[in-house]
Amino acid sequence: MADSTILAFFISLLAGTVRLATPILLPALGQIYTQRAGILNLGTEGTMLMGAVCGFTVASVTGSLWLGMAAGIMAGVAYSLIMAWLSVTMRANQVVAGIGMNILSTGLAVYIYRLVFGIRTLPPSVVPFPTVEIPVLSKIPVLGTILFSHNIIVYLTYVLVLPFSWFVLEKTTFGLKIKAVGENPRAADSKGINVGLVRYLSVLIGGAYAGAGGAFMTIAYMNTFTEKIIGGFGFIAVSVVIFARFKPINAMFGALLFGMAQALQLRLQAQGVGIPSQFLLMMPYIMTIIALVIASKKAEFPSAYTIPYSRMER
Amino acid sequence: MKKLTTTILTVALALCSVFAQGSSEQQKSSSKLKVALILPGKSDDVSFNQAMYRGMTEYQKKHSSEIDLKVVEGVYDVADIEPALIEYADAGYDVIIGHGFQFSDPVLKVSKMYPKTAFLLGCGMYDNTNMTRYDVQLEAGGYLMGVVAAYATKADKVGVIGGGMGSEITRGHEGFKAGVKSVNPAIEIQEVYTGDWNDTAGAYEAAVGMYDSGVDVIWHSGDGIGLGVVNAAVAKDKYVLGNVEDQRSLAPKNVLSGLQYEWANALETIFSTIKDGSFFTESKEKCVMINVANGGLSMTAINDPKGYLSEDAKAAIATVLAKLGKNEVALPEV
Repeated sequence: MADSTILAFFISLLAGTVRLATPILLPALGQIYTQRAGILNLGTEGTMLMGAVCGFTVASVTGSLWLGMAAGIMAGVAYSLIMAWLSVTMRANQVVAGIGMNILSTGLAVYIYRLVFGIRTLPPSVVPFPTVEIPVLSKIPVLGTILFSHNIIVYLTYVLVLPFSWFVLEKTTFGLKIKAVGENPRAADSKGINVGLVRYLSVLIGGAYAGAGGAFMTIAYMNTFTEKIIGGFGFIAVSVVIFARFKPINAMFGALLFGMAQALQLRLQAQGVGIPSQFLLMMPYIMTIIALVIASKKAEFPSAYTIPYSRMER
Repeated sequence: MKKLTTTILTVALALCSVFAQGSSEQQKSSSKLKVALILPGKSDDVSFNQAMYRGMTEYQKKHSSEIDLKVVEGVYDVADIEPALIEYADAGYDVIIGHGFQFSDPVLKVSKMYPKTAFLLGCGMYDNTNMTRYDVQLEAGGYLMGVVAAYATKADKVGVIGGGMGSEITRGHEGFKAGVKSVNPAIEIQEVYTGDWNDTAGAYEAAVGMYDSGVDVIWHSGDGIGLGVVNAAVAKDKYVLGNVEDQRSLAPKNVLSGLQYEWANALETIFSTIKDGSFFTESKEKCVMINVANGGLSMTAINDPKGYLSEDAKAAIATVLAKLGKNEVALPEV
C-alpha cells in the first residue's frame, strides 16, 4: 500500500472506531449504575432492541428524531422495569431472568414493528441524524475526520453523557448509595437507605442508557430497523463494564477497544490480508474473552453482585 | 418456592415470545394445497426474502383456488429451522419451503422423516426424493455486476460485500471478480463477508471502510446486509449495485443498477410437478435454476446520475448480458 492509502486506511479505521464505540459506550455506562448496585442485567441486548424499535417507530411516525430518541429511552426504562421487578422484587436468578428478557425482546420487537408498519415493498426508513462537521475543528487534517465528523449523538455521548455519568457515580450521594447497596445491602439498609428503591432506580437508569443506545442504532447509525440491528453490542457492553472495573472513564477505553476490533476486522477483510474471513469475524469476540480474562482478575466485583437482598434472611 | 415460581414465570415469558414471532395466517380449507413458506429474514428486505415472498404470494393469487399459503419470517438460526419444519409437517402442510442455504441440512433431515410431504429448498444443497431445490445462477449475475462495476469505477477500485460464505453467494462473488477482471485485470477488488446475512450494521461499516479507501462502486449480494451497504453509499455519496430486487427506490442517487430475481417461472415448474405427482419420483429435475437465459435473472435499468458510464460502456454491458443469455460466457466453477 502507498503511504497515502495507509493514512486513509487508518483515518477511516479510527473514525469507524469512534462511531462503533458509541453504541457500546452508552449501554455500558448505564450498566455501570446497574452492576454497581449489585445487579447483572444480561438483558441489555434485548433492552437495546426495544429502544431501537420504539425509537425508530416514533421517529418514523412523528418525523422527529429527538422524539424518537426520547421514545427509545423511555422504552428502555419500561422494558428494564420487568428486569428490575424480577431481580429485586421477585429475587429471581439474574442470569436466567436476563436471558429470558433477551428472548422475549426478539419476539416483541418484531411484533411491534410489524404491528405498526405491516409488510411493505419498501421498508420504512427515516432520515437519520446528519453528520455535523464541527466548524474549524473538523478542518484539522486527520484528527478532524476521526473526531469531529460524526452525528450529534456521538458528540453528546462523549462530551455530555460520559462526564455526567462519572459525576453522578463518583461525586454524588446517589452514586454512593448505589455503591453501598451493591457492596453491603444490609449495612446500607441499617443506615436508612432504601435498598429496593436504589436497586430499582439503578436498573431503570441502565435501561434508559441501553434504550438510547438502541435508538442510536436505528435513527443515527442506520436509518431503518432490522431484527439483528443491535448485533451483540449489548453483550459486549455488559463485558465492557467488567473490563472497565465498573469505572466510567475506563468504560470509554473499553468501548473504543471493542469498537476498533469490529471496525478493523471488516476493513482487514476488504484489504485481502489473506486471513480467512471466518477468523477475522471471530476477532472481536476473541478480544472480548482475552480482555475479560486479563481484566476480571483485577476487577473488584461489588460484594453483593447478583445476590438478591431480603431483610428476612441473614 | 418463590424462586421456583419466578424461574417458571421467566421461562414461560420466554416461551411466549418464541411463539409470538411474526407470521401471517390465512384461511384454511382441506381441498387446497397447504403451503408453508419459511423465510430466514424479513419479507420486506428489498432483496432475497422479498423476491421469494413476492413470487410466492403472486403464485398464490394466480392459483387462489388451489393453494393456501402461510408465510413465516425470521427463522434464521439453524437450531430454529428444524423444529419449525417439523411443526409444519406435523400440522399437515403439503408443501414446505425452506428459503436459504442454512435450510440445507434441516430440510434433508426432516424430508426423510416425512416422505409424503413435499419439501422445497432455496439455494441450498442435497437431494432427496421428496425434495426439490430451486437456485439462481448467481455466478452469471455476479459476472454481469462485475462488468458494470469495472466500467463504472473511476478509481479502479471496486468492492463486493456478502453475508455468509457458501452456496450461491460465493458463486456470485467469484463471478463478480471474473467479470471485473474480464474488463480490466488491473482493477483492485475488495471483498468482505459479514458472516451474517442480517448484519446490517456490520455491512454498513464494511462499506464505509471500502468507500473511505477509494472504492467507488460496491456490489452486495443481498438480504439484510444490502440495506446497510445502500445506506453507506448514500452517506458517502458513492455507487452501489443491488441484488435480488430493484433497489433503486432505496437510494435514487446512488443505486447504479442491480440484479432482479424472478421466481415465478421456477415456482410454476415445481408446483406443476407436485400436481402431476412427478415431484415424488427420482427422475424429476432435482434443481430448478433461474438464470439469464430463462428470464429468471435480469438486470435492472441503469441509473447513472453521476455519468460514470459512457455509451460505449453501456453497449458493452448489453453485449455481455446478451451473451450470458445465450450461455456464451465462460463462468468460474466453484
